[in-house]
Amino acid sequence: MKRLRFWIFLMLLPTFALIFFINLYPLVRGGVISFQRLTVFTLNRPRFIGFENYRTLITDPNFWNIILNTVVWIFFSVLFQLVFGFILALLLVKPFKGRGLYMGVVFYPWALSGFAIGLLWSWILNGQFGILNDILIKLHLIKQPISFLSDPRFAMFSVIMINVWYGIPFFAIMLLAALQSVPKELYEAAQIDGATMWHRLVRITIPCIKPAITSTVLLRIIWVMNFPDIIYGTTRGGPAGATNILSVQMINIVYYQNNFGKASALGIIITGVLLAFSVAYLIVAEKGAFEL
Amino acid sequence: MKYRVLSILRVLGLIVYLLFAVFPLVWIILTSIKPINEVYSFPIKYLPSRISFDAYRYLFSFARFQVYFKNSFLVATVSALFSTSFSLMSGYVLSRFQFKLKHFLLLTLFFVQMLPTYLLMIPQFTMFSKLKLTNTLLSIVIIYTGFGAAFGAIMARAFFKSLPKEIEEAAWIDGCSRFEALLKVVLPVFLPNVGAIFSFCFVNSWNEVFTAVLFIHSDHKMTVPVALYSFVSKAGIQWNVMAAGIVVALLPTVLVFAIAQRYIIQGLTQGALKG
Repeated sequence: MKRLRFWIFLMLLPTFALIFFINLYPLVRGGVISFQRLTVFTLNRPRFIGFENYRTLITDPNFWNIILNTVVWIFFSVLFQLVFGFILALLLVKPFKGRGLYMGVVFYPWALSGFAIGLLWSWILNGQFGILNDILIKLHLIKQPISFLSDPRFAMFSVIMINVWYGIPFFAIMLLAALQSVPKELYEAAQIDGATMWHRLVRITIPCIKPAITSTVLLRIIWVMNFPDIIYGTTRGGPAGATNILSVQMINIVYYQNNFGKASALGIIITGVLLAFSVAYLIVAEKGAFEL
Repeated sequence: MKYRVLSILRVLGLIVYLLFAVFPLVWIILTSIKPINEVYSFPIKYLPSRISFDAYRYLFSFARFQVYFKNSFLVATVSALFSTSFSLMSGYVLSRFQFKLKHFLLLTLFFVQMLPTYLLMIPQFTMFSKLKLTNTLLSIVIIYTGFGAAFGAIMARAFFKSLPKEIEEAAWIDGCSRFEALLKVVLPVFLPNVGAIFSFCFVNSWNEVFTAVLFIHSDHKMTVPVALYSFVSKAGIQWNVMAAGIVVALLPTVLVFAIAQRYIIQGLTQGALKG
């Protein structure tokens, strides 16, 4: 018995020692740094300054704009990913010849680097040589090329579109798995009762996969909030802050201002929001959709 | 009749999405093999008049992408190897045994999985600079291994749970030790799942950009995403070269995904949903 317990400890040690040093301890350290004046040039001379970093962040006139951007970014990204991912899952739920191959092909964006995807799309959306403008002009939908990423009116819309393209496969995968677990008998019974397709969708399919939808959406909110990669590959928060979200702002403070203290304070704010959503997710998840 | 219309709509929907999904990758590959004057031609030329590998030649000689590619490959492989091994060990224990701290450890795993890399890069940077390890590939290998081990453990645990305990117990009765049973009976069945965990870790390490940009300064230590990052601010990088760089960054993950996607998807849905 004692040997077994030692063995269990030994098997767990590498993973959890690493998690402690790479994730948990840095999280606490980040909390400490957020109360310090610390830049890349004064790494060995931190100075405690109380809530100064938080104060500069929150009193920044752009801060609420960034919050608003973050909400818009999360809401529309997740909404459209959910809608299109659900439609794709519905199209795929009935087996057909070549379905496996089809899924293998269309789900590939899921594994790609978000940063490289951002760069890729910034070429497609290029105001001068971008193919999207070319297509839209040929279809007579627009007269003048649009500067998708450098016009503040279109920038947020554009990065959300890229994010939707990137995120549809994830939703489709998760919802397809849920759809396939809906008992067939329910549909058969509904058919006998003469239910229309719309009724079957609203009365059977959606209620049955609701736990999967809720947990996938919550997981995705957390993930999209923490996903600066696409924006960093396209606009880096510009033009004029039009696509600046919390995570992008934090990286900008690190890279361009080299202000580790201020960036850490923002990191703690992000972690707070993250924690709230994580708790919500775990509560929902433990209730039904999956077991811990 | 109604059924016909529906199935036509279904096929149409699937075709439209296929084009939407594949088109960006096709376009960037086409751009990377265009001669430079056709990249910036107006009106836009959709297909190159001849295939030119100038961009790749530039990338792998002048822009030293062979070095960055090697670094990325090394970092992603080594960290994925370690995190896969670690996560198999902890995933097995977490799926097969009951003990006091188990619930707490599982919660920790789920929580840690939600912390993105960029959020922790500052304290990690101060820690590693105390150890004089910034600007080394070792530093990012260690960090990626930590992130990989966390979500790998969740995947591994889900896989092990789906594997009946009886298979192992039968082997014990036949006189195998616990370790032998793992090696001879469980591992062969489990191999595709090991591949899935490995590819998942590999892809994530391969794609990570923000920590790497902060940690790595020397040109000969850069990974592919760091090199691409430096491309953006460098004047005079033409779009066909950029496109080639993007293709080089994307292709390995596309390949890994093509090989392992079935098992990755299985692991992902099992890890998150009751399966």
